[in-house]
This record gives sequence, C-alpha cells and structure tokens, in this order.
Amino acid sequence: MLVLPSVLLIVVLSVAPLLAGLALAFTDARLVHTPHYSFVGVENFTKLAANSMFWASFRIGMVWAVSVTLLQLVAAMGLALLLNADLRLRGLARVLALIPWAMPPVVVSIMWRMIYSPNAGPLNALLGSIGLPNDINWLGSFTTALPAVIAVGVWVGMPQTTVTLLAGLQQVPPDTYEAAAIDGAGAWRRFTAVTVPSLRPIITSITSLNFIWNFNSFSLVYVLTEGGPGGQTMLPMLFTYIEAFQNRNIGYAAAMGVVLVVVVVALLGLYLWSQLRAEDKP
Amino acid sequence: MKTVHRMPLVAAAVAVLALAGCSSGGGNAATTGGATASGAAGASTPAGTPVTLTFQSLSDQPATIAATKKVVDSWNAANPDIQVQVVQASWDSINDKLTTQFAGGTAPDIIHDDAASIVSFASDGYLADLTGQMSQAKKDDIGKGLLASVTVDGKVIAYPTEVQSYMVFANKTLLDQAGVMIPTGDSMTWDQFRQIAKATTKNGVAGVGWGLKSPVATFMTLGLGSGGTYFDGTGTSATIHVGDGEMALPKLVHQMAYDDKSILPVTLTQSGSEALAAFYGGKVAMTVQGSYLAASMSKDAPAGFDWVVLPPLAGPDGAAQAADPQTLSVSADSKHVAQAVKFLEYFTSTDNLEAVNEADALIPATTSAQQAMAAKLGSQNGWDQILKSGKDFQSAPFLFVDKYAQWKSTVATPAFQKYLANQIDDAGLANALTSGWKQLG
Repeated sequence: MLVLPSVLLIVVLSVAPLLAGLALAFTDARLVHTPHYSFVGVENFTKLAANSMFWASFRIGMVWAVSVTLLQLVAAMGLALLLNADLRLRGLARVLALIPWAMPPVVVSIMWRMIYSPNAGPLNALLGSIGLPNDINWLGSFTTALPAVIAVGVWVGMPQTTVTLLAGLQQVPPDTYEAAAIDGAGAWRRFTAVTVPSLRPIITSITSLNFIWNFNSFSLVYVLTEGGPGGQTMLPMLFTYIEAFQNRNIGYAAAMGVVLVVVVVALLGLYLWSQLRAEDKP
Repeated sequence: MKTVHRMPLVAAAVAVLALAGCSSGGGNAATTGGATASGAAGASTPAGTPVTLTFQSLSDQPATIAATKKVVDSWNAANPDIQVQVVQASWDSINDKLTTQFAGGTAPDIIHDDAASIVSFASDGYLADLTGQMSQAKKDDIGKGLLASVTVDGKVIAYPTEVQSYMVFANKTLLDQAGVMIPTGDSMTWDQFRQIAKATTKNGVAGVGWGLKSPVATFMTLGLGSGGTYFDGTGTSATIHVGDGEMALPKLVHQMAYDDKSILPVTLTQSGSEALAAFYGGKVAMTVQGSYLAASMSKDAPAGFDWVVLPPLAGPDGAAQAADPQTLSVSADSKHVAQAVKFLEYFTSTDNLEAVNEADALIPATTSAQQAMAAKLGSQNGWDQILKSGKDFQSAPFLFVDKYAQWKSTVATPAFQKYLANQIDDAGLANALTSGWKQLG
C-alpha cells in the first residue's frame, strides 16, 4: 500500500508522457489548431533514416557529448585532487569552484558569448595583449565554433563532477596511501594504484550521468550559437526542438526523440556493462 | 540545466519524449478552447459589458513602445467598453513562443508578428478570418501587394502595419575621403554598390559591414531584384528552383567578400545590430541594414558621426524588395474578434500608423499614412530614400509556401552560412538548397 503513491507519481509524471511520446512517434501529428492525428506506422522512422541533416547533427552530438564528458572528467579530477590537498584557504576555493553550478545556463551562455565576442571580447583582447592573433571569430568560424562551445560545456559541468569526485576522494582511507608510500610508490603510482581503483564506481556513475546530461543538453548551445554557423554546432536536441516547435511536426520530432533515447540507452548499457565486468575482475 | 541534472536517470533520458507528450496534450486543450470560443463569438458579448483585449506587442524601440502606448491609451480613454491591455514581448524566438501559446490555449487576442511567420500559423488554423470584418476603405488603402501578403487561401488574416526594406547606410566622411560621389537618384545598382565598396576599402577600412548571420530573409527580400523568386506554386504543392536569378545576389556578396575583400569578414557571421558596431567604429564605410535602424541611428550614433542613407539597391530587374510586413492578427480562440477588429481599424488609421512607423523608421502599410509621412518628414534622417524603397514592394512567393519556415531554419540558413564562409561553392549552394528541400518530404 505504501508504495502506491510513489508509483502513481512516477506513472503520471514519467511513464505516461513517455508512452504518449512513443505513441506520437508513430503518427503524423502536427501542432495545428484542430489536430487530426492518424497512425502512419514506421513512416517517420523510414523518413528519418534518410534524413542526412539529422544524422549529421547526431554525429556532432556524439563528438560533443564524448569530448565534453572526457574533458570534464580529466579537469574535474585535477581540481578535486587539488581541493582535497591540505592547502590554505581550501574552504574558500571549494566554494569558488561551485560558482559555475550556481549560474543558470542562459546566463552562462550570454556571459561566454561576450567573452568570445570577436569585436570587443576580453578573450581576444587578452590574446592580443600577449602578441597572439586578436581577431579570432570564436563562435562564427567553422573551425573554432564547436571547440569553443565544448569549452563552455566543460566549464559549466565541472563543479558537480568535481564535488562528486571530491566526496569519493575523502572516502579513500589515508592508511592506503601511507602503505603505498612505505612500499616506495611515488605520487603518480599512488594515483594510478590507489586513487583510481578506489574511485572507479564513482567515475563510472558520474561519467555515465554526465554523458546523458551532455547528450541532452540544449539551452547552452541554443543561446550560444543556435546551432550555427552552417549547422556546425547543431546538437541532436536542438535539431529535434526546431522540428517540434518551429516546424511544428511533433510526430516526426517524437520519432527523433525515440531514436535518441534508444541510442543513448544502448551506449550506456554497453559502457556500464564493460565497467561492471572490469570491477568484477580486480 | 540544473533541474535536468537533478532528474532521475530515466526521466532525463526521456525528457524530449515528455516534452512531446505535453505538447500533444496542449494541442487537444487548444481544440476544446477553439470550440467554445467560436460559440461565444457567435453569441457575442452583450453591449455595455466591458471586455479586455490582450495585445502582445513586439515593438522594441523605446520610441515605438511610447507611440504604441499613446495609441492604446487614447483608445482606452474613448472606449471604456473595450479595454486594450498591452503585453510586451520580444521578436527573439517569437515564433517558438507563439507556437506554445497557441498549443497551450494562452494566445493573446491581438497578435503582432510578420507575414512570413504568420502565414503558416494561419494555414494551421490559429488565426481568425478577418475578410468580412476589415473595412473596404482599409483594404483599398493597404494596396494590392501588401494585402496579398496577408491573404491565405482567399482569407485576410492580418492587418499589415509596418514594412521593412533593406537600405544601405553610409559613413559620409569615409566616402568623401575615398573620393566617392554620394549616389543620388531613385536607385543604386548592385554594380554601383560594389564599386563604392571597392573604392572605400583601404587604410584598414572595409567597404561594407553586412550582418548576415541569419541570411535567408535578406536574400529572399533583395533577391527579387534579380528575379530570384525561389518558389513556384503555393501551399503544399510548391516547388523550388535555384537558377541564375536566385544565385545572383549570393554570388555578388561572395565576390565582394572573397574577390574584392570589400566586406569585413567577421560581420558576415554577426547579426545586423552586432555589425553596426563596426560601422559606428569607422571600420566599415557602409552597412546594409533594415530601414528601422535609421530611428536608432539618429539617436545612438557617436557624436559627429556623419551618416547618409543611399538610394534603394536595384538588381538587374529593378529595385523590387519582397513585402514581408509586420502584422496584427486576431487569435482564432479570441472571444472578442469583432471588438479586436474595431481596435485594429483604429490602430491602422492614417495618423496612428504614421506615428508608429515614424518612431520605428519603417514604411507604413497604407498609402494614406505613407503620404502623411512624406509630407511631414521630407528628407530628414534619410526618410526620402526609405520611402522611395517602399514603392517597389512585391508580394513574395515564399510567403505562401507551406514548408518555407521549415526550409529556412533547417536547410537554407546553414547552407547560406556555409556558402558565405566559403565552405561550399556556387554549385554546392544551389544543390544544398534544392536537395534539402526535397529531403523535407
């Protein structure tokens, strides 16, 4: 009996919309004043299979999600190790490291758009002041747009990864480090032989969560570039949004959503399966 | 993003599905709303009961907001039974906003937008049919080309109010220094424009700053100058063609940018207002902008900045620009269509329309207001040139193509951006535009 209210909530808030979206993917639904939905079978999916623009955005989405997740992990690990060390003003530094997390994505995007501004942006001014080219069109040029957006993605996602890793680091018993040091292990060896193995479950969970969040991220890129220039930063979520709310083809957009969910779940399944197997065999 | 981060794993993975699910529910709600609304409109509100109309206005220049408020205030004072309440919104992502408002049944009574966007909402049934309600005098005053641009399937669905034309603004000091004669006459040919741009490109100054981040509207509008109509047919049966007429203007911009190097490259990836910074900073001699910039330029330009508006651009086929007027429509779900129309008739009366357009530096959609404006303003702030460009408005084929908005956002914008960044060549652009159209299915 006691479980019923929570099940009810999940059904109403998660399962029902999921099923509605799934059903929608098999219709020709459009957002119109007097909708007439009719069942069209897998037509949306066959149309999608031939839509080269969607798959191009899919490829960009994979590049984005994988590189942001990896860079986040590397950068956050460094930061977490620093914050875990017994340094002065550690408390203050920990608070400062959380700031990006406290900012709404739209604010982050607007701030970074200013930083990247080709005319008067502080980034170009800084490069110019040390004698480097100061006319880079960060978000407007085909070569720099995606890396520039990825850098923002890493920046904004670092705090929660850092905090999670930091919490994990504090669980590692200090004696294991002492024992390793007595056995003659240097700093790097202690990191690979003690820290990484003890953090493995945490690394696995935070990277898989990060991957989902990054793959589904929308607002950051929507404000930064709207998918431009020339579709260079058109993430699949952005593409789906445009199909649903600008082109008003919600049936077709729902089909895109289904494909995205299936692919993300499959990739994650594969990743978690390999990680869990590795954990079973120490 | 933080809320998404906090979501349980499954919920995050299916967020997009949930979104789609919500909107379908919204769609149904709107239907029910529609049924009751038409019933209520038939019964009509008894006389003497005051009604309140919401008016979602997108005017973003302070002077226009004030002019709009003045018109609304005077109406409210004279009509205690029909009160109009202005709700300020922004042009940014207005179509996403309208889509959700319509789907959620929360659309305002009076809707401000532009013809290119509103036509697709009309064909999806969201707008009230105003054919029988707009006065004949108003229809005559608006003129055939503009009225056609707001007529969908034989139904008038909006009052056109203000029309934007693309104008060339020039820094007179830089033109004088380069020894360029300021062109006069009724129009300036593309070749003349290109020559001036070349002549002024020197000493670290580029000839033109052209904000083409969202290039489609510019190419569609000015492309008529070389017969670039892009589409044949209307509605769902429209077909696309990209030939010499369509390619002429993109080619011109490309040649100016890469052969002549007379366009400041960074501006090609910026919005019009961002490109304006280079113009004010004296880094470019000319800038192509919507005529509305004349309003802010007369106030915001740096002290001593000497600017002029050059004659309207004319391609080989003349100075035609596509008429894509701003519009005021009435929601199909509004319970007070008749009252809203009364207000719109008042809003578009000669003096009111003149005042609003003067504040916005746009061209009034009615002949009488254009005349009033010409008589009142003469040649100050380039008004004579701006009004000249208003003579050649043509109803444009792209307005009546069902998939235009979709083609614009998914196909044409990235294709033109790639072409302007020199990532694809002429043939590549023509191919991307046409094959992308076919993929829309």
